[in-house]
Amino acid sequence: MSSVRYTLSPRGYLKIFFHAAKHPHLPVNGVLLGRKLDSISVGNGTVEITDAIPLLHHWTSLSPMMEIGLDLVTRHASEQGLEVVGYYQACDRLDDSALAPVGERVAGKIREAFGDAVAFVIDGEKIGSEEHVALIPYLPQSSSSLSSWRPYTSTPSPFSSGSIFTLTTASGSASLPALAKTLVKDHKTHQAFCDFDDHLEDVSLGE
Amino acid sequence: MSLSSALETLANYRTHNTRASQDIVEKGRLLLKSNVASKMGDDAWAFLEQLALASVDIARYDVADECLRQLLAKFPESPRVDVLSGIRMEATEPPEVVLKFYDQLLEADSSNAAIYKRRISVLVRMGKTEQAVSELCEYLDTFYSDVEGWVELAELYSSCNQYTSALQALSHALLLAPQNPFYVLQFAETAYTAEDIPLAIKMFMLTIDIADRHASEESIPSGASVRAWYGVKLCCRALSERSSLSSPSDTPLPKNLNLLDELATERVLTAYSAATGKGERLDESLC
Repeated sequence: MSSVRYTLSPRGYLKIFFHAAKHPHLPVNGVLLGRKLDSISVGNGTVEITDAIPLLHHWTSLSPMMEIGLDLVTRHASEQGLEVVGYYQACDRLDDSALAPVGERVAGKIREAFGDAVAFVIDGEKIGSEEHVALIPYLPQSSSSLSSWRPYTSTPSPFSSGSIFTLTTASGSASLPALAKTLVKDHKTHQAFCDFDDHLEDVSLGE
Repeated sequence: MSLSSALETLANYRTHNTRASQDIVEKGRLLLKSNVASKMGDDAWAFLEQLALASVDIARYDVADECLRQLLAKFPESPRVDVLSGIRMEATEPPEVVLKFYDQLLEADSSNAAIYKRRISVLVRMGKTEQAVSELCEYLDTFYSDVEGWVELAELYSSCNQYTSALQALSHALLLAPQNPFYVLQFAETAYTAEDIPLAIKMFMLTIDIADRHASEESIPSGASVRAWYGVKLCCRALSERSSLSSPSDTPLPKNLNLLDELATERVLTAYSAATGKGERLDESLC
């Protein structure tokens, strides 16, 4: 297994969370932006995920708009000095946390350009929790480009202290899931949130 | 918020079939408390049904149960209320129990289409896609004119990478609702995913034709046609990259691909020329 570490920014986490919250009855997906920091002290370096770009909620099994979205995002990322480093999705079923076949393909595609790509699936059982980060990381099994992706199950569990997956927050990772929940439940921040599908319906809406 | 404007918003949601559950429950609870329902006349029942559905959606089962109680008192034997009771059960009961409930209802009355559809949706939720597909096919044999059913079947096929079967299901939806650009658009995107690019480009253009049938030449593309123009652009690029081209449906290619590509570019750009940048609004509020 790779010993690359992954950090996720609050901005990225909240955007994934809002996207899933806005369409609870639909599958949604999007991509992650960030950069790889090489460092001698922490093994093979760190992938810093700084942002998430929400793409689809309509026909997540169909490819055309995913292709266009990926194209635009890749260009946007390089303008910002970032790369597309991963993929995320949420399922319409609460108990389903498998990376869909389409997800594997998109993640595999991202991996062709960025070797340490990662995929996150929203954990429906934990999305209402105030302590747990509701994301299950998936990593490819082998170095082949058609590799299947498996959930990361090693201990310490993802996003707990000492794990290769961490959230970057000043006040400790426990508060971010609670903040996300409050923003959705009490402030309805997710209703103002748009993805690429919304943008295609009305191009004045930004993602 | 005054009660009358809340009522108006809710009626508007009903007409447009908007799933704004959080908002519906918030406004609906006020109306329920102030007992407006008794003065609404026949609209009250549609309102109670709407509120019940929305409350189940955001897990306010207490509100849903109150709505159901009032509806059951008024319509004790109604198949429509039966469906609602089933949906309420789906939220908290194990799927096997709900399936049994639906089976009993179907035994008593096998003509209730909504119950069949609930049954199928429970199967989908249990992950039994194969059984859901076969039951949905059976259902569509009887209720052929259910467009939503065909679209759902197409989506189930697509989710298992069966794009050719998805196209077949969608073609029934197109026969039944030839004027709806969104079904044509879904057909086009499915054809693209199935790698039948000539068929995809044809259907993307048909989408634009239907969506813009009342538009003048100078008008700005919006809605379905922006998406379709993007699709045309994507198809043109795919065609220029590929030397050998197969179309399982034997669809001929349009002539003058280059001109079409230019037109698509121009249309997409026009769509953006009218757009005002609201883009960074959320970004600012977030960080």
